[in-house]
Amino acid sequence: MATAAFEIKDEQRPLNEIPVSLPNGEESTEDAIAAEGNDPTEQLTVFHSADNFNVKHPLMNKWTLWFTKPPSGKGGNDWSDLLKEVVTFDSVEEFWGIYNNISKTSDLSLKSDYHLFKQGVRPEWEDVQNKNGGKWSYQFRDKRAVNIDELWLNVMLSAIGETLEADAANEVMGVVVNVRKAFYRIGVWTRTTGAKGGNKDALMEIGKRFKDVLKLPARDYVEFSGHTESAHSGSTRAKAKYSV
Amino acid sequence: DEPALPSAALTALRSARPIETLKGLEYPEGIQSPNPALNPTAAPAKFRYDKDFLMQFQTVFTDKPSTDWDERMSKTIGDIESAR
Repeated sequence: MATAAFEIKDEQRPLNEIPVSLPNGEESTEDAIAAEGNDPTEQLTVFHSADNFNVKHPLMNKWTLWFTKPPSGKGGNDWSDLLKEVVTFDSVEEFWGIYNNISKTSDLSLKSDYHLFKQGVRPEWEDVQNKNGGKWSYQFRDKRAVNIDELWLNVMLSAIGETLEADAANEVMGVVVNVRKAFYRIGVWTRTTGAKGGNKDALMEIGKRFKDVLKLPARDYVEFSGHTESAHSGSTRAKAKYSV
Repeated sequence: DEPALPSAALTALRSARPIETLKGLEYPEGIQSPNPALNPTAAPAKFRYDKDFLMQFQTVFTDKPSTDWDERMSKTIGDIESAR
């Protein structure tokens, strides 16, 4: 493995031990803080001070960003060699630090993918947590007509903001964007297919919300297919099991 | 080579604590809170964030998430264009 994924280091300290530097650059003292009228335990968000915040917005889950490199034409082109774990994060602020410093989907080479999955779940259907599941997906066949960067961002935000599924549905495993010659495809991977042990209503609700996030008109459909059926049909475009 | 020093924003990010509850948390004027309808209970670390709330951070936290970020990205994603 050339690179291991990393997590953004946490070095949390009690609030009252975090130095608050004043705008004039002087070392802060309790007197100075008192003079400013600031309580050292005050919760300062990134909106209060982008360089001096002391609280961050937690996500309900830890998420890992993965990247599939396009095959290089030389050896080492197995899927497992091309799939790279990029970074794991668990706050809104970290998400934006990452998003603002990685390539946009529209700049990626053909045959690349981004995957944003809950930590501990590999973005592969063989993963034990995916193998009984499936995905909602939609292909954008007119690549020039679509703002793929905005759509992919919105799908990632709905995943990390936990608005793709109702409380306790526990179906969403991750989201993915594929860059291909003839299309972009965005998908939401789910834990079950709604069959045994699954909840079809929860899956249909995810499909509806996903369609909403993609801003698709009513006449277009997002389609659900099970991973195993896709694998057996030898195509990633298995016959849809459901559509919304 | 000396490793690059983390930016002030990255230092703040590393030392910041996760918010425990949205209740009582005040944002500066002009910043909207997470949609309260998504967070009916004040359960710790169970926050749901709507898109409009999340989008407010886009231009506010722009620093690289580690000091060796570019090196990491060239190893994983490759050919990354460093815009900053």
